[in-house]
Order: sequence, then C-alpha cells, then structure tokens
Amino acid sequence: MELIRERPLLTDVYEQLMAFVPESSSAYVFGVSNEERSAHSEDWERQAINVKFVRVVDERESGIVVQAPLGETTVSLRSESQIRALLSGLNSNALYIDITGLAHHVWAPLLRVALMMALRTKVVYVEPGDYRFSRRPTEAEIFDLSERISGIAPIPGFFGLSDPEDDAICFVPLLGFEGPRLAYLLEYVQPPRAKIVPVVGVPGFRVEYPFYTYHGNQQPLRDTNAWKNIRFARANCPFSLFYLLQDISRDYPEHLIKIAPIGTKPHALGAVLYSLAGGRRVELVYDHPIRKADRTMGSARTLVYHVSFIPLTTAS
Amino acid sequence: METADPKNIADVEKAAPEAIEQLSQLFGSYKAEWLKEQLFDLFTEPQYFPELVTSRPCMLLGGRGTGKTTVLRSLSYEGQFALSKNRVSSIGESKFFGMYYRVNTNRVTAFRGPELEEEGWIRVFAHYVNLLFCDLILRFLQWYELHTDSRLAISDSAYRNITLSLDLPQVSNLRELADQLNASRFKFESYINNIADGNRPRLSMQGAPLDVLMESINALPEFRDRLFFFLLDEYENFEDYQQRVINTLVKHSSQLYSFKIGIKELGWRSRTTLNPNEQLISPADYVRINIPEKLEGEKFSTFALSVCNERMARLRVPSEETIRDVSTILPGLSEDREADILGIESIIRPIRDDLQAAIGTRANEISSLRLFLLASWAEKEAAPLTEVVEENFRDPIKWNMRYDNYKHALLFMIRKGKRGITKYYAGWNTFSQLAACNIRYLLELVDQSLLLHITTGNNLSQPVSVDIQTKAAQKIGEKNLSELQGLSVHGARLTKLLLGLGRIFGVMAANAVGHAPEVTQFHIKENGGNAEHVEKLLNAAVMHLALLRLVGTKPADEADTRECDYMIHPIFAPFFVFSYRKKRKMLISGSELLKLVEKPQETITEILAANNRAPDDPLPEQLTLFESYYGAYTGKTATD
Repeated sequence: MELIRERPLLTDVYEQLMAFVPESSSAYVFGVSNEERSAHSEDWERQAINVKFVRVVDERESGIVVQAPLGETTVSLRSESQIRALLSGLNSNALYIDITGLAHHVWAPLLRVALMMALRTKVVYVEPGDYRFSRRPTEAEIFDLSERISGIAPIPGFFGLSDPEDDAICFVPLLGFEGPRLAYLLEYVQPPRAKIVPVVGVPGFRVEYPFYTYHGNQQPLRDTNAWKNIRFARANCPFSLFYLLQDISRDYPEHLIKIAPIGTKPHALGAVLYSLAGGRRVELVYDHPIRKADRTMGSARTLVYHVSFIPLTTAS
Repeated sequence: METADPKNIADVEKAAPEAIEQLSQLFGSYKAEWLKEQLFDLFTEPQYFPELVTSRPCMLLGGRGTGKTTVLRSLSYEGQFALSKNRVSSIGESKFFGMYYRVNTNRVTAFRGPELEEEGWIRVFAHYVNLLFCDLILRFLQWYELHTDSRLAISDSAYRNITLSLDLPQVSNLRELADQLNASRFKFESYINNIADGNRPRLSMQGAPLDVLMESINALPEFRDRLFFFLLDEYENFEDYQQRVINTLVKHSSQLYSFKIGIKELGWRSRTTLNPNEQLISPADYVRINIPEKLEGEKFSTFALSVCNERMARLRVPSEETIRDVSTILPGLSEDREADILGIESIIRPIRDDLQAAIGTRANEISSLRLFLLASWAEKEAAPLTEVVEENFRDPIKWNMRYDNYKHALLFMIRKGKRGITKYYAGWNTFSQLAACNIRYLLELVDQSLLLHITTGNNLSQPVSVDIQTKAAQKIGEKNLSELQGLSVHGARLTKLLLGLGRIFGVMAANAVGHAPEVTQFHIKENGGNAEHVEKLLNAAVMHLALLRLVGTKPADEADTRECDYMIHPIFAPFFVFSYRKKRKMLISGSELLKLVEKPQETITEILAANNRAPDDPLPEQLTLFESYYGAYTGKTATD
C-alpha cells in the first residue's frame, strides 16, 4: 500500500472562474473550441500581467497554427524540434497548457515536449457545467460515430512499436458516456476478454455522471464481462488516474498496458502522463472524435495541475 | 406459452448455474480472440481447409464471424502445436509453419500524413514491414529452439547478410539478432514520431531482408522442404497504398514463403502491386477462398452442426443428459403447423361459416391457410369471396401455384398488428439460414436459445420451444443491430440504414397479398449523381454484415457493386419480422438509400408508397424501443 504522501494530488482548485490568474512571466497556450467553457482564456488574458498568451487558431491532423507574440506560426505536431522551437521561443518562467479547448492530439504532443524540456509546466482545465447528450441514445438519437470520430490512429508523438503476444495485453478504457466508442475500440483492439480493466470517473463532475457512464457503456461491458473489473478514479483528477494506472500495471506485470482515453480530459491527461512515465510498456489507443457543436453547457470549477513532477522514461 | 425474459439475471442464476456457465463458455465465447487456448480445443476443420495448406498464396474472404481468425490461428505454429495436444514430436513432423499477424490499426495509420508524399510513405512502410516480418520469423525461431530444446545452426555468412540488409551491427546468434532488431525498432519509432524533422534512418529494400532471412532458414536441415506462411488477418485495416506494398510481396513471393490473408468482403480495395499495371489475379497469383460461397447450403449446416455438437459434447453437468445432436433440441415448424399456432383457425372460422352458408360443404375442402389467402385476395380485389373461391375450384393449377408462392408469405399476415410473436423463426434449418454461413451468428442463436430455455425452468432433455427459439432469434437480431454502431466509423449510418430498410421490408411482409410475395432483396436502379456515396455506404454495409451482397451470374469485378442485388442480412429478419429467404427483389434508387439515413421517416413513407403500401402498421413489440426514430408510426400500438 502506497502512503498518501507518496501519492500527492498536485492540483489547485478554483471555484470561481475569475479567481484564477496565470502567474506573471509565464506563457499560456490555449485554444477556443465551440464549447462555452473554453472561452475563458480571453477573460484571463485581460487581467493577467506579463503573460504571453499563445492561441492555437487551427488544429489539423498533424499540425497546428498558433498566434504567438511574434505572429502566426505553423507547427508540426510530428516534429519535436518545431515544438521545442515554439516553446523555447516563449522564453518564460512557467508554461500553462490549457487543455479545455484543445483536442487530445494537440495538447498531448505539446505537453510531451514541454516535459522533455523540463519546463515548469501546469495544465489548466475548466469543468463543464453540464453535458448535452442523449440519455437514451437508441430511442432518441443514434450516436453518429461518423460525425464524431475519425478512427483509430496514434496521437502524434505517442506512436509505439511494441507488439507483445496477444495474451500479454491489458486494455484500460477510461470510460465516458458513449458506449459505441468503447465498442468500436474493443472491436479493433481485441484485447483478451479477462484483461479489460475499465475505469469510471468516481466521484464524477456531477454526482449522477457515473450512472450515465454505466448506462451508456452497458452493452460492451456486459458482452465482455468487463463490468466485473471496473476500477474508479476521481473524474477531474489526472493524478488519481495516474496512480490507479500504476496499480493496474502492477497487477499485470510484463503486459503492454493499452489505454483508451475516451472519458474525461483530466483522465486523458493522467493517461498521457502515465504513458510518458511508463515508456514502452504503455500504448495510447484513441479514436479521435470530431466534437459536436455545443456538446457542453456553461463552466464549473477551474483546475490547475502541476504536472512537472512526472519522471520521464528515456524512451519518451 | 412460456415466458422468457433474458434480462432477469436473478432467474438466470437461480435456474441452473452450472449449466448456464458451461453453456456460456462453450457457445457464448464465439469470438476467436475470447477463446484463447480453448480456440484450438474447439477447432473444427472446415471443408476448404486443405486448400489453405498448399504453398500457394490464399485470400480468405468472409464477413465478421465467418471463422477467418480461427482458421488462420489454427494454421499458426502455436495453433498446430496446440492442435497436436502440445506433442513436441509434432513440430518435427509439421509440413508448414505459419506466423500469425493481425493488422494493427494503431500502427498502420501512423504511416500517413502530409509530411511525406505517397512514394515516401511506401518506402518507409516497406521498411516497417521488413522489421515486422523479420520479428515474426525470429519469434518463431526462438519458439522452435525453446520447444525442441535445440540450437539452429544459422551460418555466420547468413547473419552477416541479414544484418547488412537491415543495416544492423554484426551479430552471431538469434538472441543478438532479436536484440538488434528491437533496437532498430526503437530508432524507427522515434523517426515516425518526429517524421517532420527528417533524420530518416537507412531504410531497407522492400522484401530484401525477408528473402535473406528466409533463404538462410530454408537452408537449415530442420526446415528442408517445409513451407512458411505469413498469416495476415484483417487485411482491410491496411491503407490502400499499404495493400499495394503487401500485394507486391504476395505477387513475387517465391518458394521461400507464402501468404494466407484473411479479409472482409470488399475490404480488398487495392488489387494492384506497386506497379499500377500489375494486378493480382485469381487463380494465377492466389487461391480465392470465399467462405460463404464455400459453405453454401447444406455444407454450412453440416459444418455448423459439427461445431455445435463438438461443443455440446463438452457439457459436464450431472443433472443434464448428454445431447449428441443439437439440431434435435431445436425443432422447427411446417407452414401449416405454424399457421395453426399463430391462430389461423380463429380468423378463418367466421369466414368459413359464411362461406359454408353460401356454397355448402365444399367450403370444408379448403385448408385454413388457403382460405386465408382466398379471403385476403378477395378483400384486396374488392371481389366477393364466393367468386374467388369458385375460381379456385375452376382453375386449380393457377391457384395451386399462387398458393405455393404465397404460402410462406401468408404467415406474416396472420397476426399482423398483434402483440407478441407475429412470425416464428425456429428449427435448426431456419437458424442455419438466419446465420447465412456465419458461424458466429449460429453460435449466438444456439447460445441464446439454450440460455432462455434453461432460465425458464427447462432442462436440456426437453426440446426448446418454438416460442423461445423465436425470442432468442429476435434478441440476437437486436443485439447485432446495436453492435453495428461500434463496428466502424460508419457504424451509425449503417444502423440508420438498417432501421430504415428493416422497417420497409417488415411492412411489406405484413401486407403481401396483391403484391409480389416475399420481397427480401433490392437492386439499385440509379445512383442519382451520388454514385460514390452510395457505393461507400453499400460497401460498408456489406463489409460489416448489415447487408448481404448477391452477385449475379454476370461476370463482374468482385468489387463492382453496381451489378449486385442486396438483402438485409437474414440475422435481422426476426427482429424486423420479414422473410429470411432469398426471394424477390424491388428497386431502390441510390438517392433513396442515402435519404434513408438522413431523413428516415419521410423516405420510409416514400419507398413504401412506391410499393403500394402505407406505413401505418403498428410497430412489432420488439421495435417499440425505436418508436421515436420511426416517429410518424407511433400513433398505433400492437393489440393483444
């Protein structure tokens, strides 16, 4: 059993959006999606002092266009040197990466290089007020994968070539509300049935969310019997998830841990951090959803995660 | 009538936990990847198996659940060893060694993007394939040494040639070679992750290291006159250009090794090699094994029965009798018997009474189902029943033929609009046809039937009732419909297409008299300028078994969808309530097909109207979950 002091949850929590102000002489990378909660950065920009705000204005499959202090720049997400040039050019004491309005395939490679450069890095996330989704997708609205996912492909910077025997794989889907995404990943990953360890965010952003998670994923969970192996980690805490992944890895020694970050963004952050720490024993499997407009409403708490403590493996 | 509610888990557990657990193990684990070592224990050799063990490349075509993975895995060296019950001497006796690889989407999709032109990706991918296949061979060699407790004497010159071709440091044994290959993979991984930075490592020539390695292995006395197969599963996961890279290896594979490739129907999108003028042609370049074609008709039923009986023989529950033949506990129904159970007599009695009053005892010479046809015909034609009955007596040949044509179709009309079962789907032969050469579907049907049978208080010495079989078949249709969403990026569109077509065929089946009976297929009459979208939708539907593609007698390219007829996969027939038999077809335009996905409610109405049907039939009970999807038809509900 790990001591609590060895498993710190290095998170600042701000109940009010405007209570958080990025520290002086820092850089703040962010994007604005079509979700209301991602629009906060502009407000912070007005009240922050001596902070370089870097806005990602275009997210492409393997590159981004950023509006940096020196003008618009295109950066390939499949180029460590270009990302290094972008980050070192900011010349700041600390780096904030606001993942609220950025897609996984954008913030994850930025974070990877920031940590490799040993920058003092903090990740910012604003919880949604509520999600707009169908409680009964079969009856009211068939979940349209074709509108929402582009298909499985590696997140830039996280491609790996470890191919263990099929039986030496443990699949850890971090569950969201959308069961078809889990079913799709199970179809393509084809993990051993007894080695599927789903993770549900408990406590959820809201008290009822874990129940929606069970409901939305019930069929694939039942078909694979994976409901028996479900584990829990606080939905808004990447560190809780990180430690849980450590435990799961310990339960499955000599296994490749395939993590599917299809749940909350803080869980995806925990998975990315764990992948950076776990090296070749960890693989991220992601289906790249295309977000529907207005999928969330409002914003709740702001969370700032101090992620620089993560020990990187040499393989990263 | 028995009740069967599969949702009541408490009942399931109380009923006969031992039998349920074992049945679920034996029949519920119908996916090859779920079976693990049991896969080989339960392996039943299909009739086409001998075609696979020759030196020729083979393309094994079939939908999800047709047994491709099981067959390919059984050809692997691990599979052959397990099939021999782990007999070490079997390794030396083996005529072939297969190395299994399932195409990993998360790997192959990394080899695309704007960073390189296609030519560049081809070179990089070809190098990856070299690393991958060499790794498969090295794993086999290490496995061989371990299991035979021997040391393979690969010559120094062979090691030198292999390392030169892969640009690796010199090595002197297999372990070192494996380590160096692994290190090379590390470097390559880093290059792919940062491909926009350049710094390309030295790439090997397509197939060259493979040839060198295989040459040196073939020279070893242990492997003289042995065949080596690369068993590639889920070939459809490769990008188009990647298929061309592998096609090139297949085309030019020498005596050193060969390929056995598992692929979904229509998943082979690119048939040329890297030379655009060079096609892979059957039978010159490869043996084409289309599983549904190979198992058509009785062959599938026989094969499936042996698979089921083999599994059933392993059931070890003291309280249960051994069942030697699964087909005997799944009795079917004749059409006349089914009409009886559906309640034909209560419908016909008043009609027969009236007719008797008009024409006397001759009314009793007509069977109830035939009288149902005559009465329905009279109603449709707005003619007096006596007139139609007289014509039936006057022209028996015409009416006998008509009755033969409509007999099965009439069964869908007897309980039209009523609650509960409106058409039975029961019997081994019916289940075989519902499965349509798909062994996974058949196992699901048997599994669900036996599970419901036991949970409703029965045991395996009693036959499974037709009610339970029908409910099981509906449940399996529903299950596969809901699974469709998660099968591909097109999953939701396919679900919508199926819901639309299923409803159309269901309404047409319930209103058959006066129209062509048993319309179960469709042909695309024109694409309306949307050819590409229509083809994409149809291909995805065929690939993921929402639809079956029926290739006509005309010689057409296998990938050509224009000349084909289509039908909803019969596994969905019990859920939507239409006939699973391949019978008559109707025409649908390409734009109607696309609109079924985008605007289901109005398009269903339009297509039904074009076929002289109104969409106002109540939804079958099992479809009420989709009431709001079908929208306009929710006003009426099925009656008791």
